Amino acid sequence: MKIGYYPGCSLHSTGIEYDISTRKACQVLGIELDEIKDWICCGSSPAHHCDELLSVALPVKNLSLAEKGGLKDICAPCASCYSMLKDAQLKMTDDQTRKDVEEVIAADAPGDIEVLHALDMFVDRCGYDAIAEKVVKKLDGINVACYYGCLMTRPPKVTGKTNFENPTAMEELIETLGAETVDWNLKTFCCGASFAITNLDVVLELTKKILVDAQASGANAIAVGCPLCHANLDGRQIQINQKYGTDFNIPIFYFTELMGIAFGVEPKELAVAKHITEVEDFLQERSLL
Amino acid sequence: MKIIGENEITVDASFAKEIQKHCGENVNLCYQCRKCAAGCPNRQFMDFTPTELMRYVQLGMFDEALKKNTAWFCVSCQTCTARCPQDIDIARVIDAIRMIADERRLVADAGNVRVLNRLWMIMLRFMGRMYEVGLVGTFNMVTGKPFNDMALGKKMILKGKLKFIPSIKMPFTMMKMFSRAKKIKERKKANS
Ligand code: SF4
Ligand code: SF4
Repeated sequence: MKIGYYPGCSLHSTGIEYDISTRKACQVLGIELDEIKDWICCGSSPAHHCDELLSVALPVKNLSLAEKGGLKDICAPCASCYSMLKDAQLKMTDDQTRKDVEEVIAADAPGDIEVLHALDMFVDRCGYDAIAEKVVKKLDGINVACYYGCLMTRPPKVTGKTNFENPTAMEELIETLGAETVDWNLKTFCCGASFAITNLDVVLELTKKILVDAQASGANAIAVGCPLCHANLDGRQIQINQKYGTDFNIPIFYFTELMGIAFGVEPKELAVAKHITEVEDFLQERSLL
Repeated sequence: MKIIGENEITVDASFAKEIQKHCGENVNLCYQCRKCAAGCPNRQFMDFTPTELMRYVQLGMFDEALKKNTAWFCVSCQTCTARCPQDIDIARVIDAIRMIADERRLVADAGNVRVLNRLWMIMLRFMGRMYEVGLVGTFNMVTGKPFNDMALGKKMILKGKLKFIPSIKMPFTMMKMFSRAKKIKERKKANS
């Protein structure tokens, strides 16, 4: 199965583990990822904050590059990229927007392309059974709080998700890998995303709430599907501990890393050593390293 | 919450109209149920709730809506948009509010959100991709906090998480796209 790949800027930098683990998981499942040639940034929040037209034109330019490369489906693992691409497709149904965007990209709008988040790709295209077949190491002893954050599921008119208040696809996937999952309140709460750069207090407060709730619900690890969520939950624990007097040391995994580990890929190959909150001891205690 | 006396109210419908022109959303549909305020994760940092923000737009209270921090502290989490019983895309209305404040070059209590947005868009225009090290570095310089987040930055370098060489993609195509978008915007402004 060949699927177009739009890594987005973060996956080439701070979210590199997500890129590596997504590729590994695909390799095991027989998905061939074809990276869109010369892709550009989707514009993310700054584009929709300050330029209505470019916030549609930038994602559409990428879809048009994908079409040029003969791609029909695109996987975007970053929740923000995914949302920008899907939102642009929705806005392109408006005739005036379509005309303006075509003028900006100096080309006809691309035809139908299906944009998938990495979780959708694994769940909808491969299915839980095919994933279960590849599991060689059951993830015993991991109690996972599955964290979706905002844009993987919201707003429903963009994502098409009906269970956006209580999504469960990631839980089912993680349980397929042999781990347990917990019921908790803040699975779709916001982590503050890019406010980490502008107003750190916002991110520390929101991220703290998420960590508190996950831990209180009995989780000993959190799984995420977005490089921004990972950067905040994984990278800010020390600062949170300093500010609030807590002692969080919770491993934060990309759900694709957990897939890789369960599929028998060496954690070293998955680059889990790059996490800011270290996970090696946690994995070793469970004989997963 | 600010309580407004009946005599103090003069309704100026032009604000709601301007918002509708920007993003197609009809703010007058809001019946102040407060569902958006109840679910807003960033409420505690805001001067007032998104519900009040909708009211200020309905009444045409430009200063409250454009200059106070509520719109700027919205993290675009889409919770309000997903839940509004009147189907108002509140997050999109807030985007429009931010754009109107930019167009009028208003001084607003925006934290440094505007600075980051501007740097990001400039970077995109010339490089096609966002370059995290350059973005955060320039942001820290511009905002006068060169050593902001140094501890975490150092850790990231040690872990090999940061990329020091930017990848530049199609700079000419990008610059052309940005200037065409600007032209369309100016044309529309002239026509209205
Ligand atoms: S949820 Fe919708 S109708 Fe209710 S207060 Fe907010 S904007 Fe108004
Ligand atoms: S999109 Fe903005 S206003 Fe709406 S709930 Fe999220 S932070 Fe609050």
